[in-house]
Parts: sequence; structure tokens; C-alpha cells
Amino acid sequence: MSLAGTLGRSAAGRREPAWRAPALWGGIAAFPLVVGLMSLGIGRYPVPIDQVLLALAAGSGFAVDVPGTVERVVLLIRLPRILEGLVIGGGLALAGAALQGVFRNPLVGPQIIGVSSGAAFGGALALLLGLGLAGLMAGAFVFGITALVIVFALSRVDGRSPVLMLVLAGVVTGAFFAALVSLVTFLADPNDTLPAIVYWLMGSFATASWPKVGLVAGVTAVAATVLMAMRFRINILSLGDEDAQALGIAVEPTRWAILVAATALVAGSVAVAGIIGWVGLVVPHIARMLVGPDHRRLLPAAALLGAGYMVLVDNVARTATASEIPLGVLTAIIGAPMFAWLLRRTQAGGWT
Amino acid sequence: MSEPLRRRALTAVAASAAIALAGAAGLAPTPAQADPVTIADQNGATVTLDGPAERIATIPIPAASMVVAIDGGTDRLAGMHPLSKTALTEAILGEFFPASVDIPSDVVGQGFMPNVEALLALDPDLVLQWAHRGDDILAPLRNAGFTVAALRYGTEELTRGWIEMLGTATGNADKAAELIAWREQAQAEITGLMADLSAADRPRTVYFLRYLSELRVAGEGTYNDFYIDLAGGTNPAAADGSGWLTVNPEQVLAWDPEVILLNGFEDDLSPADVYANPLFADVTAIRDRRVYKVPLGGYRWDPPNQESPLMWRWLAMLLQPELADWPLRTQIVEAYGWIYGQTPTEAQIDGILRLAMNGDAAYYDRFAGDAGR
Repeated sequence: MSLAGTLGRSAAGRREPAWRAPALWGGIAAFPLVVGLMSLGIGRYPVPIDQVLLALAAGSGFAVDVPGTVERVVLLIRLPRILEGLVIGGGLALAGAALQGVFRNPLVGPQIIGVSSGAAFGGALALLLGLGLAGLMAGAFVFGITALVIVFALSRVDGRSPVLMLVLAGVVTGAFFAALVSLVTFLADPNDTLPAIVYWLMGSFATASWPKVGLVAGVTAVAATVLMAMRFRINILSLGDEDAQALGIAVEPTRWAILVAATALVAGSVAVAGIIGWVGLVVPHIARMLVGPDHRRLLPAAALLGAGYMVLVDNVARTATASEIPLGVLTAIIGAPMFAWLLRRTQAGGWT
Repeated sequence: MSEPLRRRALTAVAASAAIALAGAAGLAPTPAQADPVTIADQNGATVTLDGPAERIATIPIPAASMVVAIDGGTDRLAGMHPLSKTALTEAILGEFFPASVDIPSDVVGQGFMPNVEALLALDPDLVLQWAHRGDDILAPLRNAGFTVAALRYGTEELTRGWIEMLGTATGNADKAAELIAWREQAQAEITGLMADLSAADRPRTVYFLRYLSELRVAGEGTYNDFYIDLAGGTNPAAADGSGWLTVNPEQVLAWDPEVILLNGFEDDLSPADVYANPLFADVTAIRDRRVYKVPLGGYRWDPPNQESPLMWRWLAMLLQPELADWPLRTQIVEAYGWIYGQTPTEAQIDGILRLAMNGDAAYYDRFAGDAGR
């Protein structure tokens, strides 16, 4: 069995018309762009579309006449929020796709394996101690990694992580950190820190701002570059440790580099927007259905689709009613049934 | 007869004997009667006490300062919620009644779950607990043999119910009637002042329960909505939902509030935070400098409390400066005199009205003391 055949079943399995791949990639790349631009035009404060464009022009330095409020709505509220959604959605989907490859298991997502719970605990602790945005980030990262290490150590059997062990290790780790989160909320002052922690845990982009976008975009750019650069190695790792070793890969360092980068993506998003589940689990599956299991194509596709998906969901959260709908609630309500459907559909033919 | 019951009966006998003796000598210190006291709690239950409650343990957070107001002191307060205690000791009542530092606050845990053993150690003759948070937090109290009165919260009517109930329970029915009459009189007076206001004359007023961690505002049916309306404003959030609403900054811009009220719960929050927020630079309330932190008196003035009439007047003077005018500082001194038997200093009144934070906001000079004018 050739490597190419193993890695690209769809490419080897059936011939596709020559126009199809460019059209598909054009669509995938246009998706976040179109969604992002469209989203600039919707919100609770009514702004006509020409005013949106004028505000964007004003923000780019052109001398155009646009009301101050409109400019603020578009440039200080919607634009950072949409960018934050794009960056975080892309980052979470990318992290999910990479984790699924490294763990050789399509059930893996930051939430299933306890990384989200770990990051939630780190962030909640930082909020309890009043450490600010950088502290939140550091707390989420350190405890996200801790959770990952625990799951990894617990689930390893003969150099692999069998589904059952992985899920159980994730349940154990997630439950442990969830209990620690409860402990933090128990200790928090009900007048100010407790509402802040509870709100943050539900996940939201409502407090998006340019500094937050800068922070999460910086972390995501570094971590995503690492993962993108290693996407062929993820292919090889997904063959199993022995084969990967035989092919000349330093398995352990490679795996750790990928895990740390994926956790950094999750921690970055957790720090600025709280816990947003299901994106990292569901979106890679959709991407896999579209472009196949080769991580060289899967990773960029998942990132692009995740970015657009996140902004679409957030549009519902911020515009459906006068009050914000917690994002974590929406992603779970959409994500869980979608995952169930994917599970039935893809499991029938075996995991690819 | 169980041990606590027997002890209570003995106490009652001893008390009636003492009162009888004192009465015989013409020395009755209070008109306390030895007859059993019956009150109807806000769960519809009838609660019977052997006599006026002498040792009250309060689990609902605002109940402790309400007891202090009705009794004019902390003597009957046997135990309270930890947050009641910080509200007392870190504000003016702590300065009026320094002994409140020693009142136990270990009687309740997370989620208003009573600590029954700690309560038993205090031997209260009346325990106040929430009525609307499920029976799980009430049953342990009943099972331990305590006399429990359940309270609801959130409307003016319920608050008057508290006052009446606690007045009866502590033998302070007259004081309670006085407090209720004060509320009725203030409400009627302000309603009369605002009667002819057209909708357009009512400034759009938004109350932020949270501002720092999220934007959470008072919607329809909240007590804040009630007093915004009473004091001559209109709450634009009420049209968009009931209860507490978490909103995004864009929604606040869409409402364009003319007055913003900031909660007294977030200690670090001050109007300066709102003025400095670039997102809200074009909001009318910010342009007109009408952002106010809600005062903190014997309790935070945001929720229903014993000093609500002062809150309503404060707000009416800010929302309708042309129509409403009272010497509020003098009224605070008068009210504190008959409610707590205390006279606040000028500096204490400045603190209650949060002059340091609100001082340079529009129309706030009318609350400045003589030194500040």
C-alpha cells in the first residue's frame, strides 16, 4: 500500500472533474470572507450598507463624511467582534483537526479530551485572583496543557490511544477540572467576581475589542503557522508511531510540538472569549467530507470553514434578540445534533 | 417536648414573669406583650412566635439591614448572611453600630443553604429564609425545629410586606407602619409630580446591574424599572425583554440612553469608566454627563430596601430636575434620625451619595453639602 494511497483515499478512489478542485477551494476560501463582510452589515443598531462601506473607508484613512456613531458601531464594535470570531473559529477548528490527527482519533476535540475544562479552570482562577487579560491567557494555557498531558498519559496503551481509553481519560480529566471550576465559583465573591466568571464560562464575543483581537490574532498566527508547517508530519503521525519512526520522523518531539500549538490556539480563544465548545470537533469533520483526510488539505480547509462558521453562529447570538444568547449554548445546540448526524453518516463507512 | 422547644417555653415563661414584675412596678421598658405573635409569611404559611422575636437569624441578604431599620439597632440580629455582614460593616450602619462586627455570619453556605448546626448554636427564635428558591433551603430549618418565616423579593408590595411582617414579629408594629406610610407618601408625592409628563419628556434611563464583566441591564418587571418609571424616566430596555438582560454595546447605542445608572455592587465601577469608553462616546448620557453611580446608604439603594423613598427622590431630582426638588441631605438626616436613631455627619452623607464619583456629573451640584456649594 502506497503512502499516497493511504493518505488520500478520495484522490485515489475516484476520478474527479478537473474544474472541481479549484471551484471547491474557491468556495472554501470565499466562505469566511463573504460571511465576514456580510456580517458587518447586520446588528442591533441599524446601519445602512452604504454607511457601513463609508465607515470602512473612513477607517482606512479616506476623508469621507460618516456619522460618528456609525463609525464607532462598524469600526469599534462589529469589526473587532467579527475578526475575533474569524480568528477564534479558524483556530479552534484547526486545533481540532490537528488533535484528531495526532490522537489518530476523530472523536477528539478540545472539549472531549478535557483541554477546554483545564483552560476553563486556569482562566477562572485568573479571574478569581484578578490577574487581567495576560493572566487569563497564561492560566488557560498552563492548565490546558496540564489537562492534555494527563489525558495523553492516561490513554496511552502500547503507543496508541484507543478510543475507549481516550474518551474515558477525557471524561476523568474533564470532570476533575470541572470540579475545580466549581470550587473557584464557590470561592468567588457573588457581588463581582462570580458573575464575571459565570458569564465568561458561557463564552461570548460581546466584549470584543481591538486589544483582544490583537492578542488572540498574535497567538493564533504563531500557533497556526507551526501547525500548517507540520501538516505533512501530522499525516505521517496518523499512520501510527512505528510507521512514522520508520519513515524518519522524531515522533515524540513532533507530537509535542503539535499538541502545544493546538493547546495555545485553544488557550488564546478561551482567554478572550471564554469556553466555546463543539467548533473544534464538528468543523474538521465537515472539512474532511469536503476535501478528504489528507492533513495538507484538511488543515487549511478546517481553518477557513471554522472561521466562517463561528461568525455565522455569533451573528445569531448578537442579533436574534435584544439580549445576547450565550455562544457556548448556540454552538452546542447546533454542534451536538450535527455531530450525531456526522457520526451516523461517516461511521457507516468506517472512519477515514 | 424537645429540648429547644422546652427551652423556648421556659424563656417565654421567664420573660412574661419579668414583664409582669416590671409592669407591676410601673417600669415596663417596652410595650412588649407576652401573648403569642402571629405573622403570615410570603409563602402563605402562618408563623407563630411565643412573643416578639428577640434573636433573629437572617439568610436573605437584604433582610439583615431591614431588621436593623425596623428595630433601630442590631440588638435582635443573632446571625446573618456573610454578604449581609459586609454590607453592614463596610458601610454606614457599621459606623452607627460598631457591635455588628461581632454578629456571626457562618449560618449560611453556598446557594442560601442554611448551616443548621451553626444556627442551633445561636438559638434564634426566628429564622428568615427565601421563599422563592425552592424548598430545599427551607426544609432543613423546619426539620431542625426552627420557627421560619419565608420571604419573597423584588417588588414594592413585597418589600412593604417584609416591613409589616418584621414589625409585627419584633413588636415594632408602629415603626413598621411609619416606614410603610413614608413609602406611600413619597410614592404618591413623586407620582403626582410626574403625572403630567408626556412620554417624550421622560429621559431614556438604563440601569446597569453589570458593566465591567458584561453589559447586564434591568428589563421589564425589575424593581429598577419600577423606580425609573416612578421617578419620571422611561426604561428603553423594558420594551426588549423582562428581567435581567445581557446585551452588546450596539444594543446600548440603539437605545441611546439619556441617563445611565451604575450598580452599587461592582466596587471598582465608577462613572469615569463609562465616560472613558470610546464605544459610548456619542451616547447622549455620556455627552450630557448624566452617568450616576447609585448611592449606598443603610443598604445599597439599587434593590428594594428600607431607604427606598430617598432613592426615588434622588433619582427624580436627576431625571426631572425642573419638577423635583427636595433638600435631600436634610431628608437623609431626618430619616436616619427616626429610622436608626443616628445622625450622619456631612462626610458620611457625601459618602452615601457618592459625591467623589458623581460630583462632577450634571445636576449633581444640588446634592453637594454647604461646603461644596
